[in-house]
Amino acid sequence: MDPEARKVVELGYGGSERLTMNMGPQHPSAHGVFRAILSLEGETVVGVDAVIGYLHRCHEKLGETLTYTQYPSIASKTDYVAAMCSELAYVRAAEAVGKIEVPKRAQYLRVIVSELQRVASHCLWLGTWCLDMGGALGGGATVFLYCIREREWVLDLFEALVGARLLYGFHQVGGVRYDIPAGWAQKCRETIALIERRLIEYEDMLERNAFFQARTQGVGTISRELAQTVGLSGPLIRGSGVSYDIRRLEPYSSYEDFDFKVPVETAGDCYARYRVRMVEFRESIKIVRQALDGLPEGPVSSRPGVKSVGQVRVAKGEGYARVEGPRGEVGCYLISDGSAKPYRMKWRGASFSNLSVLPHILIGTKVADVVAIMGSVDPVFGEVDR
Amino acid sequence: MPALPPLATEAIHAFIVGFIVLNVIIGMVTYVTLLERKFAARMQSRIGPYRVGPHGLLQPIADALKLMMKEDVVPRQADRRVYNLAPIVFLVPCMLIFATLPFAPGLGVADLNIGILFFLAVSAMEIVGLFMGGWGSNNKYALISAMRAVNQIISYDLPFIFVALIPVVLTGSLRLSDIAAAQAGMPFVLWAPYWLPLGPLAFLAYIVTTLAAENRVPFDILEAESELIAGFRVEYSGMKFALIQLGEYAHVIGTSFLGALLFLGAWSGPWSDTSAGWGATWFLLKAMFVFLLVTWIRWSFVRIRVDQILAISWKLLLPASLVLLMATGLVVALRSTGNG
Amino acid sequence: MARPPLGESFWRDLYELCRAVARAMKVTLINFIRRPVTVHYPTKSRAYPDRYRGLLALTYDKETGEENCIGCRLCEYICPPQVIKVEMLKAEKRNFAKTFTLELYACEFCELCVQVCPTDAIIMMKSFDMSTADRRELLLDKDRLHDIGLRFEPSWATGNLLRDMQTPPKAAKAGGPAE
Repeated sequence: MDPEARKVVELGYGGSERLTMNMGPQHPSAHGVFRAILSLEGETVVGVDAVIGYLHRCHEKLGETLTYTQYPSIASKTDYVAAMCSELAYVRAAEAVGKIEVPKRAQYLRVIVSELQRVASHCLWLGTWCLDMGGALGGGATVFLYCIREREWVLDLFEALVGARLLYGFHQVGGVRYDIPAGWAQKCRETIALIERRLIEYEDMLERNAFFQARTQGVGTISRELAQTVGLSGPLIRGSGVSYDIRRLEPYSSYEDFDFKVPVETAGDCYARYRVRMVEFRESIKIVRQALDGLPEGPVSSRPGVKSVGQVRVAKGEGYARVEGPRGEVGCYLISDGSAKPYRMKWRGASFSNLSVLPHILIGTKVADVVAIMGSVDPVFGEVDR
Repeated sequence: MPALPPLATEAIHAFIVGFIVLNVIIGMVTYVTLLERKFAARMQSRIGPYRVGPHGLLQPIADALKLMMKEDVVPRQADRRVYNLAPIVFLVPCMLIFATLPFAPGLGVADLNIGILFFLAVSAMEIVGLFMGGWGSNNKYALISAMRAVNQIISYDLPFIFVALIPVVLTGSLRLSDIAAAQAGMPFVLWAPYWLPLGPLAFLAYIVTTLAAENRVPFDILEAESELIAGFRVEYSGMKFALIQLGEYAHVIGTSFLGALLFLGAWSGPWSDTSAGWGATWFLLKAMFVFLLVTWIRWSFVRIRVDQILAISWKLLLPASLVLLMATGLVVALRSTGNG
Repeated sequence: MARPPLGESFWRDLYELCRAVARAMKVTLINFIRRPVTVHYPTKSRAYPDRYRGLLALTYDKETGEENCIGCRLCEYICPPQVIKVEMLKAEKRNFAKTFTLELYACEFCELCVQVCPTDAIIMMKSFDMSTADRRELLLDKDRLHDIGLRFEPSWATGNLLRDMQTPPKAAKAGGPAE
């Protein structure tokens, strides 16, 4: 970003002078605490400088001070919208380093919970994106409240399973912590059937709506080459034509047992990413149904229940495990020295890598498009700043 | 006691009537905010204001009291005179549009014989107040939003005028009470000569231009809460903000009343010949119907970008409204030559 | 299915606009008629599930009426934000907790303390109704923790039940899927 643009100059609406506008950390559409210093000429963005770090909470240091039994309860705080997937990355990393087996039932439960979490996370994404585009006092708020209403039903399911609604502590090294209570499977089926019907309503409101299409088609196009160079993952790269889904490439936790489609769109604009996520909704629901049908009997953990803080020790070694979160590849790199605490733990946040595409796609768009693009990139700043 | 000169009595009479109407309008505006909130809430699977008073009926009063008690903050570098005058310059035209509206036959403040022209001209004056607010705030967000608003309102005033002229052509008079009286048999929204749905199309076009002229979603790019927070109002707080809100909602109600008058037949309805009270009630109900229609649209759509808004106006609405106007004129001319 | 954005074809745009408007408004109308999902808290509250992780409490033994807590401090060591502080009091038959403080304002509600407790002494309740204007009221000492245990309805999870659910079964014992 050239130093010229950093100076605050008088606004000339003729278009030749530049205006530096701060979409500051406190902003209704920043999706979290994110600061973007935009240089504008009229309505067009000519320069963007992204500042992050407002939500840094030293997770990687916490990973060194907390043991393998304690940290999963906090791991959800990185990507708090998709908490189950974040925890899963850490727990899988510990299991990969320590070569710890996970029983089949636990794997299926992990899949059910991850896919339900994907549905809930995409509900939140759709709601907040429409809120940004449509206004907090307007149609955006309507779609937002519908999506939150649906998400609340999924969170009710989690509440019946775990006891909490957002930060779970469900996964633990060797399996999961809770088994499903009586009647939960039936309630789960009813809930996802309901959500599937409501999805049709959202698509009615949005998809063939000329306003929505005008707002999202051709906006924020990420070309296939750019997507592969910059290090995107998740719906961003699948919306640009690359079929990259970790659940297919390196199936973990019994994903190879399930039959699901990986949606890929070639257009690369906001509308393509929207389509990818809408198809992912339905595919996740399909996977949950298959997992519920095929849930094997057995233990939910390969290690005895946690009785003391230093109970889980992981053998010396290092390893990296990744999961397909709703935002992309969430990874955890773990170096273990044989004790009850990791020696070093590093998070690969999906949103952190996804944000690096912003300087490439924001230049040349209008200010209103910045909001639409940020929403379709769907960052969660717990992952970005950790 | 010596009689006052007739000019004085008329002036006092006009003042009293104006005072009453203004207060009634302000009261209605505050309760219309509650109506909108409850209506929007029901569409979003929730209940609106509920706790303040029975079913939230005292909520607008609580809001008004809160706004009156707030600290009046003026930004340091703001242009003080412009900043302070802007709410008033914005509010006065929005209140003035009620001057020519006849609420029932013979019941109105001033039934000018250029009624509709006065309405349209005065309602366009609020742009000045809007821009003054944006400029005087010394805030980039406010300025951007004010410029967008000026752009938008000017582009949509043209189709607004053309669509509003359709009932004028049908009636042959600019006076609002004449237009209302001409719909005693059938409201203009149902007018479909030779099976061309000119009436419904005109009403539809009116609704769209109303949405845009009042900066309501989907055309509310000027306030765009998620981008520009509150648009040109962002630096206003307390009573000045209340005045701006009052002006906005008064404008919305005013155009709803105008829509009910132009297209839905103002005060005609069962029992309206018997008393002015019934006429006024029907008028109010029809205006509320138009308002709820506008609100329903507002809470159903995402907004569109400013260049797309302008594209709709210039490329879609302006030709459409011109075509409708010409078609109306043609039909009226054909019928009058056929008859006379 | 991609359509060209507005401004390209006059009649088609008009038609599409009208259809889109009607479709979206139909959805909001349907939702207008549906019952609102609001629960009028606090006059009514929704039903909390059995495993709800609410307030923490200390329990008494059902038969003898003695305190369950033996002051072993396992909960203190496992708590990730270290909000529990226990002092053990040694007695003849069994140990007690001399003092037991829990800083509820910093608690994560992760249920790890419940999980490790060998005597099911610390449990969570199916309620969270302890909002206060003064944070010091949330620094719970032993008496208050016992009082909470008597006042609200306990959640299903206790240490032994959780550990049984997780421990893989031995040959003869049936563990695994809980009730």
